[in-house]
Amino acid sequence: MYERVDTGVKEPYFWNPRTHEFLGRTASSWGLILLFYLVFYIFLGGMFVLTMYVMLLTLDDYKPTYQDRLVTPGMMIRPRGEAMEILYNTKDTESFDIYAQTLNNFLESYNNSLQVQNNDECPPDNYFIQEDSGEVRNNPKRSCQFNRSTLEECSGITDRTYGYQKGQPCVLIKLNRVIGMLPGKDGQSPYVTCGAKKEDSDAIGELAYYPPNGTFNLMYFPYYGKKAQLNYSQPLVAVKFLNISLNTDVNVECKINSNTLKTGGERDKFAGRVSFKLRITSPKN
Amino acid sequence: MDIDDHEITIEELEMRYTTSVTKGLTSSKAAEVLERDGPNELLPPKGTPEYVKFARQLAGGLQCLMWVAAVICFIAFGIEFSRGTLGCFDDLYLAITLITVVVVTGCFGYYQEFKSTNIIASFKNLVPQQALVIRDGQKNQINAMDLVVGDLVEIKGGDRVPADIRIIFAQGCKVDNSSLTGESEPQSKTPECTHENPLETKNIAFFSTTCLEGVATGTVINTGDRTIIGRIASLASGVGNEKTPIAIEIEHFVDIIAGLAIFFGFTFFVVAMFIGYAFLEAMIFFMAIVVAYVPEGLLATVTVCLSLTAKRLARKNCVVKNLEAVETLGSTSVICSDKTGTLTQNRMTVAHLWFDNVIHAADTTEDQSGQSFDQSSETWRSLARVAGLCNRAIFKPNQESLPIPRRIVVGDASETALLKFTELAIGNMMEYRERFKKVVEVPFNSTNKFQLSVHELEDPMDLRYLLVMKGAPERILERCSTILIKGQEMPLDEQWREAFQTAYMDLGSLGERVLGFCHIYLNENEFPRGYKFDSDEMNFTTSGLCFAGLISMIDPPRATVPDAVMKCRTAGIRVVMVTGDHPITARAIAANVGIITEGSETVEDIATRKRIPVEQVNRRDARACVISGGQLKDMSSEELDEALRSHPEMVFARTSPQQKLIIVESCQRLGSIVAVTGDGVNDSPALKKADIGIAMGIAGSDAAKNAADMILLDDNFASIVTGVEQGRLIFDNLKKSIAYTLTKNIPELTPYLIYITVSVPLPLGCITILMIELATDIFPSVSLAYEKAESDIMHLKPRNPRKDRLVNESLAAYSYFQIGAIQSFAGFTDYFTAMAQEGWYPLLCVGLRSHWENVHLQDLQDSYGQEWTYAQRLYQQYTCYTVFFISIEICQIADVLIRKTRRLSIFQQGFFRSVDVDCMEQMSLTPYIQSYTPCYASGQWWFVPIPYGILIFVYDEIRKLGVRRHPGSWWDQELYY
Repeated sequence: MYERVDTGVKEPYFWNPRTHEFLGRTASSWGLILLFYLVFYIFLGGMFVLTMYVMLLTLDDYKPTYQDRLVTPGMMIRPRGEAMEILYNTKDTESFDIYAQTLNNFLESYNNSLQVQNNDECPPDNYFIQEDSGEVRNNPKRSCQFNRSTLEECSGITDRTYGYQKGQPCVLIKLNRVIGMLPGKDGQSPYVTCGAKKEDSDAIGELAYYPPNGTFNLMYFPYYGKKAQLNYSQPLVAVKFLNISLNTDVNVECKINSNTLKTGGERDKFAGRVSFKLRITSPKN
Repeated sequence: MDIDDHEITIEELEMRYTTSVTKGLTSSKAAEVLERDGPNELLPPKGTPEYVKFARQLAGGLQCLMWVAAVICFIAFGIEFSRGTLGCFDDLYLAITLITVVVVTGCFGYYQEFKSTNIIASFKNLVPQQALVIRDGQKNQINAMDLVVGDLVEIKGGDRVPADIRIIFAQGCKVDNSSLTGESEPQSKTPECTHENPLETKNIAFFSTTCLEGVATGTVINTGDRTIIGRIASLASGVGNEKTPIAIEIEHFVDIIAGLAIFFGFTFFVVAMFIGYAFLEAMIFFMAIVVAYVPEGLLATVTVCLSLTAKRLARKNCVVKNLEAVETLGSTSVICSDKTGTLTQNRMTVAHLWFDNVIHAADTTEDQSGQSFDQSSETWRSLARVAGLCNRAIFKPNQESLPIPRRIVVGDASETALLKFTELAIGNMMEYRERFKKVVEVPFNSTNKFQLSVHELEDPMDLRYLLVMKGAPERILERCSTILIKGQEMPLDEQWREAFQTAYMDLGSLGERVLGFCHIYLNENEFPRGYKFDSDEMNFTTSGLCFAGLISMIDPPRATVPDAVMKCRTAGIRVVMVTGDHPITARAIAANVGIITEGSETVEDIATRKRIPVEQVNRRDARACVISGGQLKDMSSEELDEALRSHPEMVFARTSPQQKLIIVESCQRLGSIVAVTGDGVNDSPALKKADIGIAMGIAGSDAAKNAADMILLDDNFASIVTGVEQGRLIFDNLKKSIAYTLTKNIPELTPYLIYITVSVPLPLGCITILMIELATDIFPSVSLAYEKAESDIMHLKPRNPRKDRLVNESLAAYSYFQIGAIQSFAGFTDYFTAMAQEGWYPLLCVGLRSHWENVHLQDLQDSYGQEWTYAQRLYQQYTCYTVFFISIEICQIADVLIRKTRRLSIFQQGFFRSVDVDCMEQMSLTPYIQSYTPCYASGQWWFVPIPYGILIFVYDEIRKLGVRRHPGSWWDQELYY
């Protein structure tokens, strides 16, 4: 009934030479427990892989199950620079060469020759709908031509520096791709307008939009996803700052004007709009 | 004790205190002394200051970790803020939340502690005590607090002695020293110095003892903390308080958790640095891992569980001062119990009568529900008349509504017993005595050892006087020449003397106090009406009396005690009786309540049975052992240990307070968790030394209550057993609660580990983790405290504090590496599902982190070619937090179901108890909480983790089945926690 006291001798825990125990377990004990965990985790891993596999089977290859996060598409500029800033010196070729280079690379796939070769010429101001007929997929889907030349002054064809050298920089604006998005109704294409943020409204000067009015033509929509629509050319709008103030920060905000899309709320500063900073330095001589 | 006030003469005493034994102090002198010595009251032991108590609540092991985490958050926030690269205010929120958590749980713990301290405060006697003091020759009633050394005070029956007093004058003064020594035997006080030891001498009355009868006048020699009782009380505060077993367990466990948290955090800090994260980022990872791994809600859960049990105990008359003591009771392996008042009813009661040559048993139950004896004999009527008349005890007035055993009596214990007994047997004694008008009485004194009184008879025609006498049986017998048998006077011959001796021995061996009774009708002619009886001269017949019978009295055990002792025995708890009473009485009560079981013999018994000398008896043969204080004094501590080890049934009699402490220490040396009961001030050192000290709520002194961890409101030993049961239950249930709480730390931790090593977008945020820890999971984990016992816990041995830990290896391994792992997989399945359904396939997620978290990247492509802004991705990330959160919650519902039992199948235990209610609560709470997390989760993501929940349930049923079917097997050893 009455328990005797432990001897109180502390057995070494890390390696006990008397019982051949390592961290309180003998080799066979370690073997067994590790084997148990091995089996246990193989089973769990198997279950995980299985559920993942089943889950992937339920997914549609061409359209995600949910798109509720992408109600308002984001907008983005090219070149985007570090942290949405375009800073250069008109006299310093190197400082704007990188922007020109970025644009060159970006616009390469829009070269007229490539566009004509891969894409169709579509009737403008109408959606280019290519529905599947039931289970039969209508793939690959065709895309409409967006020729580089439509960007005119900002295409880089006439001015290889995209106006950067002259202090009249071009900024390309693109609307984020969202599968199945229809950005306008009644044949009205969405268009981009840019303006300065309040305090810089004097500094921004005149702007020119290419294609005219800065529209994203409806014929480029809807997007069918990268698997179905391999050669999709994302429509672009170029904004050229014709007489922007030099040697000062100009904060510009461009936004989409559409009769179906709303610009995002306070939470997302890049949904249906885009802000960036321009600073062109030009030493006065 | 350096007191000699009892040895010096009155004149010296007057000199010493510049007082007068007739006029007392002068008022001015009294005021002067009061100024010097301070008021006459016991200062409460110095408590820890309140702010230190509060600070202690904020500085535990886990709390410190959380402070560190909060500081890291602040630093990260500060750096980001100054760099202007602030993404969001998450770090700041997190830091504030962490600090709030620490402070709120701290306040909670402090409140609990505060509340239990308040319970004690309520016990304090708030009515100021009055004392009758003579100053400037004037009698005044003053507040006892204002008494000073040298004051002349008067005490009378019923008063509490207001200070230590040297008796100057006394008349029939008897005091009850039970608050000092625990024994309620009255002691007479006289002005003579009878012993050099101040504690033994008759001319000092001690502070806080009670004057039972008579009057006395004395000079105050000590006040306040300098009184004997004050010194004992301060002795108690010198004894170190032992840490409770549960505190050790929790400390042990918190150390492990804190150690592991730092280990994990540091490892991944190094890994992150190695992979190439910036220092600040690595620090944030460290912080996040700490937050994820530390069970923030655990301490609150433990406190709540303990206080729930404490509440439950309070309803059963055990008030717990220190919450942790609840569990200590459960691990108790030895109870050192007082006899008087705890095991017994603390009232002398007539137990047996001997008349007509037969021993009759009286009813000793508390509520008079027992059998009574045959009262038809004429002898009984005579005996009852003697017992009733030769008795000075009287009921205090205005108690007619109370049942007789509960009425308050003025008089000593045996007379009280006889008064109540006769009141029960023949009815209104006060009126009865009036019918037999008392003519003279001779009070009891130690030389005569008898008491007598002479009465007129109730029949006015019968002019004889009746002399009634009671006293020590052998003295009474000496004075008798006849004996009353069936109402007939028979000559008292050898045969009757032998019968008397046998009966006297029998009753004495039961540990009972025996009194003899006799009477005689005085000769009418020799003692006519108006005869002047003289109590000093005793000018009347006092021999040749007629013997009526014997009455024996005992303080009978409480009705519930034998059963409770039996329960202790089956629960593997040893009950040791430690009493100041006589060994024979102690032994008789011990045998009566089952501390010494039937058939157990002491060494002396064996010696008598075998007719061999005591020395030749093998000590190991004797199960029982009665050791008196005298023997104990001569024993070394090794001998005491040996005695405790070899005799399972121990009774210590005639022990002093210091010896009680020695016995407790010896038990603790043998590795036991010791509970000690006590009521007197002298018990307080032992109460403090014990792992759990239990004070008596009714009989207990304030000092005992202060030193104790628990208070029995009904002074009943049986309540301790209830406490033990609850303590064991809460230990089991805490285990379940902790297992439940620990499990989710793994699914909280793994997202960070995967995030750092595989660079997926973060699946679970810190604030969401805190939501789980502090909001949704608190209720289910507390609900486990309500779980009923799985098996008959009172049939198990007490847990071995060295081996049966609260959190053992298998509990941690099972929670972390098995159930926790399943939960992590559930979380990741749901996370990848949510990501894939929004367009981010699992393989794309891998390595995506740096792009995903790039604030300037507003067109990141998903698996379908769609482009996402940063805010859209962040929104998606919050959705993932929610989804992961849901998965953990779904799995935790399965977890709380499996944690209801450790061994039994849930189907055996039953689903429908409070836990399920809490499950529902959790279910309803989750969407509510979810509304605070930024995202709504689509319905189907609620279903993804369900297979894993079912897996947890089924797997645990299999585990329990294996544990039940194959006890002792590898499976049992590894998987039973």
